[in-house]
Amino acid sequence: MSAVLAAADSVNGNLGSIAYGLAAIGPGIGVGIIFGQGVQAMARQPEMVNVIRQNMLLGFALTEALALIGFVVPFVHK
Amino acid sequence: MVRPAMSEEEHRPGPESDPSDDHQSFANAAWSIPSYVLSGMAVYGGIGWLLDHWLGTSALFPIGILVGLALALYLVYHRYGR
Amino acid sequence: MSAPHLLAAGGDEFEAPGLHIFDWGPLFSGGPSWLDWLTKPVLIVILAALALIVFAWRAFGNAQLVPRGVQNVGEVAYLFVRDQVARPMIGKDGDKWMGFLFTTFFFILFLNLSGVVPVLQLPATSHIAFPIVFAAFVYVTMLFLSIKHQGFIGYFKNMMFPPGLPKPLYVILAPIELLSNIILRPFTHSVRLFANMFAGHLLLAFFSTVAWWFLVEKLTPAGAGVGVVGFLMTIIMTGFEIFVQSLQAFIFTLLAASYIGGALHPEH
Repeated sequence: MSAVLAAADSVNGNLGSIAYGLAAIGPGIGVGIIFGQGVQAMARQPEMVNVIRQNMLLGFALTEALALIGFVVPFVHK
Repeated sequence: MVRPAMSEEEHRPGPESDPSDDHQSFANAAWSIPSYVLSGMAVYGGIGWLLDHWLGTSALFPIGILVGLALALYLVYHRYGR
Repeated sequence: MSAPHLLAAGGDEFEAPGLHIFDWGPLFSGGPSWLDWLTKPVLIVILAALALIVFAWRAFGNAQLVPRGVQNVGEVAYLFVRDQVARPMIGKDGDKWMGFLFTTFFFILFLNLSGVVPVLQLPATSHIAFPIVFAAFVYVTMLFLSIKHQGFIGYFKNMMFPPGLPKPLYVILAPIELLSNIILRPFTHSVRLFANMFAGHLLLAFFSTVAWWFLVEKLTPAGAGVGVVGFLMTIIMTGFEIFVQSLQAFIFTLLAASYIGGALHPEH
């Protein structure tokens, strides 16, 4: 923790933007996995396209929500 | 040398001539989900922030954001997930 | 315009390029004051507009039944926009919107590609004013068409009250729909283009500055490796930027077509 606080002193710029950069890593990987696997699933079973699309969209919404939480946390926690 | 001219292209029953509703609604959904989630957080987080401002509390802003998030996800589920 | 400009504040320490690389004063700084509006982004916009006019004129101005020369390129481009954007997104009446969509796509594409054209090297869309104007144009068109085709009441009813929800939930969910469709839509539409171009230009400037600094300004045996990496990354990122710039122009046009299509056919 003290290392983080020490780092906060030596970082010039907004710490919130750095936090958002870190928070966007996970959702970025997640969105990539969701759409990659979704396209793969559609290619394997074209007759299931509608079900796959719906589940893709739901998974995308949940993952995107994480990224947006990372976006607003710097505003909440000043 | 054979090349696709515009007039030939007009008569070709392309892949788009079958019902393109799916394509359109999927693209619409994928592009509008972030803005739904963001606006849910903005509306209810904003209400929470105002209540915090008036009541002198500090917990309602994050609670409002989470509530708005849940409602926006429910809206997305209702619109596109079924 | 190139590395010396980026390193204007340079001392002995390496300094990463910041937001000042987007600040362009009047092009002729000593010139007359009535030329002050002519900054570099404005010049790029004028050049892109001229390039688009010349391209369209050469391709379609004197169209032959058997195309040759530029007309080949123009027809392939037209077919691309029509089959990938207009028809899937708007449907049967998509062809009527081809003039608008074709112009939008190629104007934004030229503005974006000016980020990798030597000497210009600034995507004009990295100034948010230009994406905002494009998005506002699409937004006003969308509002006008929606109200014309669905009626004023019908538009808001279709937008804010999706059928099939329990009644009390409408009170809670309608503000989300309203904010998302009316306010955030043009915002995200323009910011998506702006942010990609902005970040891409910053990235290119950073890597080229690294290469310039460590290979030319302060060449040391230890720093040369960093400079070589920066040089290679500049080349790689230039290729990547060309891809991103084309993709963002395409996505902007796709979204514009999707909004227009949604305004014309509310059931989707």
